[in-house]
Amino acid sequence: MNKIVGKDWLRVHSGDLLSYGGLVLCLIIFSILSKGKLWSAYNVGILIQAACVYAILAMGAVFIYSMGYMDISVGAQIGVYCILCIMITNATGSLLLGFLAILGLSLVCGLINGYVSVMLGLPSIVTSIFLNSIFGGVQMLLMEWVDTNSVGIQYDMSFLKSITAMVIAIVVIAVISIGLYKYTQLGKYTKAIGANETATKLSGVSVTKWKVFAYIFFGVCIAVGALFLTARTGSAGKGTGTGYAMDIMVALLLGGMPLSGGMRSRISSSLIGAFTYVILSNGLTLSGVDTSYVYVIKALVFLAVILITCRKKDGVLPR
Amino acid sequence: MKEILLEIKKMNKKFGPIVALKDVDLEIRRGQIHGLIGENGSGKSTITSIAAGMQQATSGEMFYLGEPWKPSSMVEAQAKGVSMILQEANTIPNCTVAENLFAGQEDHFSTLGFVNSRKMNRAADELLSRFELTHMKGRDSINTYGFEDRKLVELARAVTDETQILVVDETTTALSFEGRKILYRLMDRLAAEDKAVIFISHDLDEILEHCTILTVLRDGEIRGVIQKEEMQKEGSVSRIRQLMVGRDIGDQFYRSDYDGSHGSGVALEYRNVSNEKIKDFSLKLHEGEIVGIGGLSGCGMHEIGRMAFGLEHLDHGHVLCRGKEVLNATDAVRQGIGYISKNRDQEALILEGAISTNIVMPSLPDLRKAGFVSPAGERKLAKEQIDLLAIKCENGSQWVNTLSGGNKQKVSFAKWMAKGSDIIIMDCPTRGVDIGVKQAMYQLIYEMKKAGKAILMISEEMAELIGMADRLIIMKDFEIAKEFPRSEGLSETDIIEYMI
Repeated sequence: MNKIVGKDWLRVHSGDLLSYGGLVLCLIIFSILSKGKLWSAYNVGILIQAACVYAILAMGAVFIYSMGYMDISVGAQIGVYCILCIMITNATGSLLLGFLAILGLSLVCGLINGYVSVMLGLPSIVTSIFLNSIFGGVQMLLMEWVDTNSVGIQYDMSFLKSITAMVIAIVVIAVISIGLYKYTQLGKYTKAIGANETATKLSGVSVTKWKVFAYIFFGVCIAVGALFLTARTGSAGKGTGTGYAMDIMVALLLGGMPLSGGMRSRISSSLIGAFTYVILSNGLTLSGVDTSYVYVIKALVFLAVILITCRKKDGVLPR
Repeated sequence: MKEILLEIKKMNKKFGPIVALKDVDLEIRRGQIHGLIGENGSGKSTITSIAAGMQQATSGEMFYLGEPWKPSSMVEAQAKGVSMILQEANTIPNCTVAENLFAGQEDHFSTLGFVNSRKMNRAADELLSRFELTHMKGRDSINTYGFEDRKLVELARAVTDETQILVVDETTTALSFEGRKILYRLMDRLAAEDKAVIFISHDLDEILEHCTILTVLRDGEIRGVIQKEEMQKEGSVSRIRQLMVGRDIGDQFYRSDYDGSHGSGVALEYRNVSNEKIKDFSLKLHEGEIVGIGGLSGCGMHEIGRMAFGLEHLDHGHVLCRGKEVLNATDAVRQGIGYISKNRDQEALILEGAISTNIVMPSLPDLRKAGFVSPAGERKLAKEQIDLLAIKCENGSQWVNTLSGGNKQKVSFAKWMAKGSDIIIMDCPTRGVDIGVKQAMYQLIYEMKKAGKAILMISEEMAELIGMADRLIIMKDFEIAKEFPRSEGLSETDIIEYMI
């Protein structure tokens, strides 16, 4: 009997194990291949720096992915936020003002993402494509307007560049998002919407309202992420933010997040995924893998993880 | 005894550790309409789905027309004469009726790779008329037809000249009154042509009326085979029920009183409600009253249920809950209305979610303290309901899609019991639920009435409406055709006359 329970337990939790397993495996393999360089204080710092923005964004994105939706406007939003944050901070001399401005803007975007799609009866992805184009355009216009290739921040942001600040940011956002995800209606409803939107609605849940809340929380995460990205790079240009939407999706999938959302979604996917994603790139480089092979190897690892976590289960019992 | 068409010997089927069939032996002879009956999960559909090539048996043998029979797919089985119609919708949306009828056979209508759709439509019309489905046209999009008609299209597609055995798997619950008649006539015709029909249904009356032989299953084993002569005998119904359930459930099925009294307060009121379908509907539902709404599928009764939950657009009139307008589903739930949808798996339950998640879903706002919902509170509430309704499960974290139909339905009841809703709209509350659970449901509904809850019971089963309702409303063509008070003398034939 014990054996059967063990098997069932394995089957049910195989997704969890695999996502942790993927991270652990990456750590072990690259520890060996890099001859311990992975764990050098310097490299750990690099890892945290690289993972910080991904982790913050992914924790917000979990709420969106849980509903079975995705937001591809993240990259363009980050680009605009970074540029605006720098411009406003430079103009006013106050970083706080710059951050508040982009926070306000991100809330508006969250509202648009959540509400407009419902009002116009469009799939959320369509609104996010729209926002992506708009923000891409705004990013271009802003850079044309200042007529340089990149704008640099004149404010001293070194306190946000420190590893301590980044760790604190990750921990604070993690505590907030875990709290929201596990112990409030927001987390429970986003999963329920992903699993069966109609049934959730017919349970008396105002789906629109909670959708908007989810996008707003994501918006806050994007604003914070943009702040840390600005701190790290110190400047922003036309290319800032490009690729973030896809990176977040890949990170979440590596962390075991099902694309369709629903009850199998886990908040831990964001942290595990972000670090796995970063360690995978970092480790391959440290191990001296030829850069030309890095993409191919990443693709294979990605495919392997997805095959095991997201494959449909067969052998469904008939009535 | 006529020739054996299909013989099943010592068939076993396992799904992991679960045994679905245990050493089943079954003979289907020419000219038989062979009924299969049993509770949910007793193995009826498993047997037929194996015979029709949908899945493979774990062990055992089958012989069809004397030859070993091991179909690898439904297509192969159908080509060799074993066809099956399923409970779920199985037509291809966004295509024409003709395209659905001849899916996979386009070669017969094509020249140089181009399908001659006019020729195909003509052939479709001809085929439809052979099945008395003259109200449908081959060139029409399948989307323009309702669920019932699409079911009939499947029927016309499944039965070909080669068909020797037709499996009808709980199809009748999806059919309208007219559609059922067409199906029954087809079954009789096949039997008269010395072919065979395997008929699966939850409706005992239907089985007794149409089957020539009946096999009763329980827990994947055959518990009894009943011949036509025995079926006609006195007390056969209770004997069959006993075989199915494994214990004597007695005659007490519905409530026994006939007083039909209720509280004085109006819980829910429809005031001259109309929209593009419903015409001027008015009704007052009182506290402690069960109002039954019956009619043919498509008479508008399901829309009435949805209206009370704010799910339908209204052109005129109001739906009032204790005098306050019901705006939308969220508002309805806040005002104490619960809605049990007819489409349980799509609209009422999160199948890929825990039982407890489903049960507490409407109650989360009540469980909230300072913005946070305590998991312990959730578990406690779910546990109470699981115990109260005797939902068969390991624990609350088991997923709903692992439950049988009856237990799933209990979960959708439990949602509103947990919420403490005092107006419950139930649309087909016992659809696809086996007898044992049905009896428990009726008991529960009666207790809800006694506790002063207002219940709107919408159903296609006249027997349960007569058995349970304080007041019975019959709808026809989107308006009220007749209202009956509760009485002992009311019979189905009295009612049917107003439905058609």
